Amino acid sequence: MTRQRSNVIVISLVLLWAAAGPALAGEQQEEVAGIPAEEALRLGERMYREGILPSGEPMMALVSEDIEIEGTMFSCESCHLRSGRGSIEGTVITLPTCASWLYKPLVGREMRPESESRLPDRLNPPPFRKAYTDKLVARAIWVGKDPDGREFNWVMPRYKLSTRNMEILVHYLKNLSAVYSPGVDDTTIRFATVVSHDVSPTDRDALLQTLQAIVRDRNSQNRHDERRARSGPFNMEELYNPYRRYSLSVWELEGEPSTWSAQLEDYYRDAPVFALLGGITNGEWAPIHDFCERFRIPSLFPITDYPVVSDSDWYTLYFSKGYYQEGETAARFLSRTDAVAKDVPVVQVLRDSSAGRDAAAGFIAARSSRGLPAPTVIEVEPGRTIDRGFWSQLAADNPGAALVLWLEPGDLHDIAALTSVEPRPAAVIVSASLIGDMPATLPSEVRPFTFITYPHSLPEDVGRSRLAVKSWLRAKGLPVTNFEIQAKGYFLGWMLAATVKLMRDDFYRDYFLDVMDMMRDEYYSVGAIYPRLSFGPGQRYASKGCYVVQLDDGDPPKLVKRSEWVVH
Amino acid sequence: MVLTLLTGAPTDASPPYTTVEMTVEIPDVTLIDQDAREVSLRELVDSGEVVIVDFIFGTCTTICPILSAGFSNLQRRLGSGPGGPVLISFSIDPEHDGPEVMAKYLKRYRAQPGWSFLTGDRDDIDTIMHAFDAYVPDKMSHQPISFMKMGASGRWLKIDGLVSTADLLAELAKIQESGSSSAEVQK
Repeated sequence: MTRQRSNVIVISLVLLWAAAGPALAGEQQEEVAGIPAEEALRLGERMYREGILPSGEPMMALVSEDIEIEGTMFSCESCHLRSGRGSIEGTVITLPTCASWLYKPLVGREMRPESESRLPDRLNPPPFRKAYTDKLVARAIWVGKDPDGREFNWVMPRYKLSTRNMEILVHYLKNLSAVYSPGVDDTTIRFATVVSHDVSPTDRDALLQTLQAIVRDRNSQNRHDERRARSGPFNMEELYNPYRRYSLSVWELEGEPSTWSAQLEDYYRDAPVFALLGGITNGEWAPIHDFCERFRIPSLFPITDYPVVSDSDWYTLYFSKGYYQEGETAARFLSRTDAVAKDVPVVQVLRDSSAGRDAAAGFIAARSSRGLPAPTVIEVEPGRTIDRGFWSQLAADNPGAALVLWLEPGDLHDIAALTSVEPRPAAVIVSASLIGDMPATLPSEVRPFTFITYPHSLPEDVGRSRLAVKSWLRAKGLPVTNFEIQAKGYFLGWMLAATVKLMRDDFYRDYFLDVMDMMRDEYYSVGAIYPRLSFGPGQRYASKGCYVVQLDDGDPPKLVKRSEWVVH
Repeated sequence: MVLTLLTGAPTDASPPYTTVEMTVEIPDVTLIDQDAREVSLRELVDSGEVVIVDFIFGTCTTICPILSAGFSNLQRRLGSGPGGPVLISFSIDPEHDGPEVMAKYLKRYRAQPGWSFLTGDRDDIDTIMHAFDAYVPDKMSHQPISFMKMGASGRWLKIDGLVSTADLLAELAKIQESGSSSAEVQK
């Protein structure tokens, strides 16, 4: 389609829109475009996020003058983000497109009406841009012009939408980030952390005391934050007004995980929170994850080895994929390393546990995505002791195979028996998370061909960061009880402070996560646990890596890196 | 040149871009493509007359979708596969962008054979960014730039900005006219 013809079509659509104006004028619409408003909201969300029309067809648009794009390539959300609050990438700034920004004049500096009324005109210039109306929003999307008639840069697509579809999309934008999310008022942002009954008192306290110290710091008023927010100088209102205290509730979960959802809903109904911070369970995080998806509540960095692994869920930001990630790494390492021939048979051995299942699932998924054959899986019956006979038989049944063992320390005492059969296994892979302190006691006979997935910073790399966390704990009067939990809590506080500051007074949950997604990689603040964490739009597992290591011949043996942090 | 684009903000409506010729020594590195294959970068760059590269990442918000839609459009215009242009997108988020992420990304843009999305060790990616004078310490600071090979001389045309397909083809035609590339450019 030529550009001229395209322009004729969009101008016609603008005229059609003008004719349809009265239908859009009311503030309270029970129907939008002939369908219930709620349904229009759902369809508009799909257009905004996925670029799909109510008909199921992709939205079509032109970008950079002549590049025709489909909404499924990239959508409104790609640039304006889920909250509609826009993004900054390099020198490209995407302005907001949500209700709270579109439907008011754009001024240089936000301030209270009483402050504004006291300003002389020379310090209070007219708005840069008039407020949008529904019709002007439609015109912007169709032909790329702002309310004052200025043309947008061609980075902004010009969409080819029917009047009805435009009405639906505008309805969605009009409701996008229109009111603050629950859990925030004029003085306080309310958070909660979730702790299940099966967590030991030591671990529980390690997390809670760290989080409470973060809250105390925020609320300490050592910079007179509340006074400045109430009555700071007019030219600093935009900076100071957003200050809110933190409050932190502890949501204790009792009983079976199947009952947790109802308990969480009760807590939430009693006192809605803006987001969940940390949290800890010994089992799977899925009930809390699902609750957060259902109620659209951000959940930051829960302490769990059993996250939900999903590439589409939105609301929970995990440290890592846990055991699943070790499984993925093992599969990728085996497909890359020169230490193991590519065509050796692969055997997974596991017990029926969450850890074993997750690691095995990650291993199988990673092999499958590479087109590699599924491994043979041996599941050890509950209660069976793994002795020398087990290992000898395993080696004899699978000569020269790569053995991937998702087993626990007690299972590996007799593993040296693998070498009693020729040919010995081509490789053995075990998980450092599963075997804990066991690596040092792995028999020397198997060390040359045993690889260990190691999802944390190596011991020689943690010094400075560990010292920083310990110093902070000491300053807060907290003894080191469970360093990993405390270090993760410390990091959470670090990220929370930066995110809340950047969020200013745009207290929308989706924006909270959008801001966190734009964060730079973190090294120092988390180095005691992970070499680095990285973020990005929609990325929900901040640690992307896992080393593969071996033990050297030393006494005690040291870990020797056999892979980079990320194995592809 | 500092390029400031306000998406959805009124500015000069035509896509602004600048070009500059530069010499690039392609690093001798092996990367991983969207099919999890190991790829020698030098061999890939030498495999075609028309070679265009950009720097993107799989979850990028504004710049990469437009660069990638441009690559997709270019493949439609110039053809794909053997004899077609060699399009190379380097991931600047190599930790997140594994083969699975990259394959899904290319599928979304209906990429045809001839368009490689490459990831690798962070150090190798940094080396490549430095070679193209396109290094950014953080992916969120990246710029909308692409590069066009000008024959076998090691000279490249740096295109700074988000360009239309017509402009991209015009730049390619100029290279062809100057004899730097023997590729046929069809408008």
